[in-house]
Amino acid sequence: MANGVYEMMRGLWQTFRSAWTKPVTIQYPEVKRQVSKRYRGRHALKRYANGLEKCIGCSLCAAACPADAIFVEASEQTDENRYSPGERYASTYEINYLRCIFCGLCEDACPTEAIVLEDNYELSFETRESAIYTKDMLLDAVSAPNQPTPRKVKPGSFNRSVPEMKDPVD
Amino acid sequence: MPETKHGDKFIVPIGPQHPALKEPGHFEFTVDGETVTGASVRLGFVHRGIEKAAEERTYIQDLYLLERICGICSHVHAMAFALGVEKLAGVTVPERAQAIRVLVAEMERIHSHLLWLGVAAHEAGFDTLFMYAWRDREKVMDLLEQLCGNRVNYSINVLGGVKEDVNDVIRDGILSAMDYLETRTVLYLKLVTTERTLIGRTRGIGIMEKQTAARLGTVGPTARASGLERDIRLEAPYAAYLQYPARIVTEQTGDLEARFIVRVKELYESFRLIRGILSTLPGGELTTKMPRRIPEGETISRVEAPRGELFYYIKSNGSDKPDRVKVRTPSINNFASVMATAVGHKLADIPMILSGIDPCFSCNDRMVSIRGSEGQQAVDWEELRLYGIEYYR
Repeated sequence: MANGVYEMMRGLWQTFRSAWTKPVTIQYPEVKRQVSKRYRGRHALKRYANGLEKCIGCSLCAAACPADAIFVEASEQTDENRYSPGERYASTYEINYLRCIFCGLCEDACPTEAIVLEDNYELSFETRESAIYTKDMLLDAVSAPNQPTPRKVKPGSFNRSVPEMKDPVD
Repeated sequence: MPETKHGDKFIVPIGPQHPALKEPGHFEFTVDGETVTGASVRLGFVHRGIEKAAEERTYIQDLYLLERICGICSHVHAMAFALGVEKLAGVTVPERAQAIRVLVAEMERIHSHLLWLGVAAHEAGFDTLFMYAWRDREKVMDLLEQLCGNRVNYSINVLGGVKEDVNDVIRDGILSAMDYLETRTVLYLKLVTTERTLIGRTRGIGIMEKQTAARLGTVGPTARASGLERDIRLEAPYAAYLQYPARIVTEQTGDLEARFIVRVKELYESFRLIRGILSTLPGGELTTKMPRRIPEGETISRVEAPRGELFYYIKSNGSDKPDRVKVRTPSINNFASVMATAVGHKLADIPMILSGIDPCFSCNDRMVSIRGSEGQQAVDWEELRLYGIEYYR
């Protein structure tokens, strides 16, 4: 009997002590968890500093994708209507997030580092159609001084589709 | 199974859908009063046809498909497949990649054992331990996210190496987390051996003798708790386990308490291995070049998953798709032991005995099809695809 009371008191002491410690849980919709640098969340299509799209519509991501989640269609472009450096740009770019397994092979396959898996993990859909993200949903917004694409550029200035670049860190 | 006559036995069916089961499985216990006199299991409710699907995909696609067989031990599935394919292709994987594979495998073991500790404590009605174990498991999950980029389905394996490297920040993070977890594990070991409420549910329950464990072919911590020295990390060292040998943890009693102790003590082993790997991580490349077409041949690949021996059989026909992939997961080996040890126990002990083997239902679900047997309906992939489109319309 005395032993039982002692053990109960000891258990309650633990409860009392825990009441003053900081909780490890977070209030999710209001407070969001910081994800790590390598986190693989929703994709984003990147732009160069000059505002041109990095994606050149080569479809290597679609070829690498183990789940066949990516659909790319490339079209020719001219200096009058320029989206990205080089001859072609992605006129259609769709990712089906019901198929995507977030493995990151598209990121590895991309020769221009145009597609990057970023830290958005809030992916829920109400219909199957809304799970298919189109190019304008994935593409980053144009930063302030730059013109949106397509735009008119000086002829011959963006002939090379894959620029010189270093390997990414992390 | 002997035929049961109606009227002279009372059968308690549990499942396929039941609040006590986390995954679907069907159990039938014949009871005499409260005592279980016979038990049978029926599995296969989450059959996904993964082995067949693997034959239709390339080796690279299979790596990601097979990683999704199990949500808890996803890395070992991918590692077993990658090791098998690399053996078939005759490729030597860089040492650093092998060490990182082992590092992730051991971190996954910690996360799996802590998850199990929580679930088993929850089944025993000890929810405080459940919450504590799962809180500490988050540490490992966060480290895995930092290292691999995801909390589950890490996809750090590629054919011929690993994708991500360990840098100094991650190494320091892992080491300090291991120190924290080690102090917590001291508490867990004390709890599972001295806490009265827990011992009441575990000591002397579900005893499996060494001979029975050997006869039923149990693997992993379930076998080691019965005194069987079975550990693929030692019997057939793979990846970097030759450089970083694991030490076997066994217990002799074979009851549920022994399974608790074995799993908790294995956490110490994992901490030691992780520290060893991080202090002497070999340098060099992360990947090596893999051919797209794998030469003709067949191979087996065995690794020690957190639940026991995981077995892969891979047959290649010289193309870029495997001819056959056969997976045998540890849970299917251990299920027979539940049915054997359940007899003679109270019905209330069954959830504990069941969770004592750390069952993973979706791992179990394979199908054997005998061609041309009656009542069979054959569907080819094109028909199945069209059916799927029609179904979801």
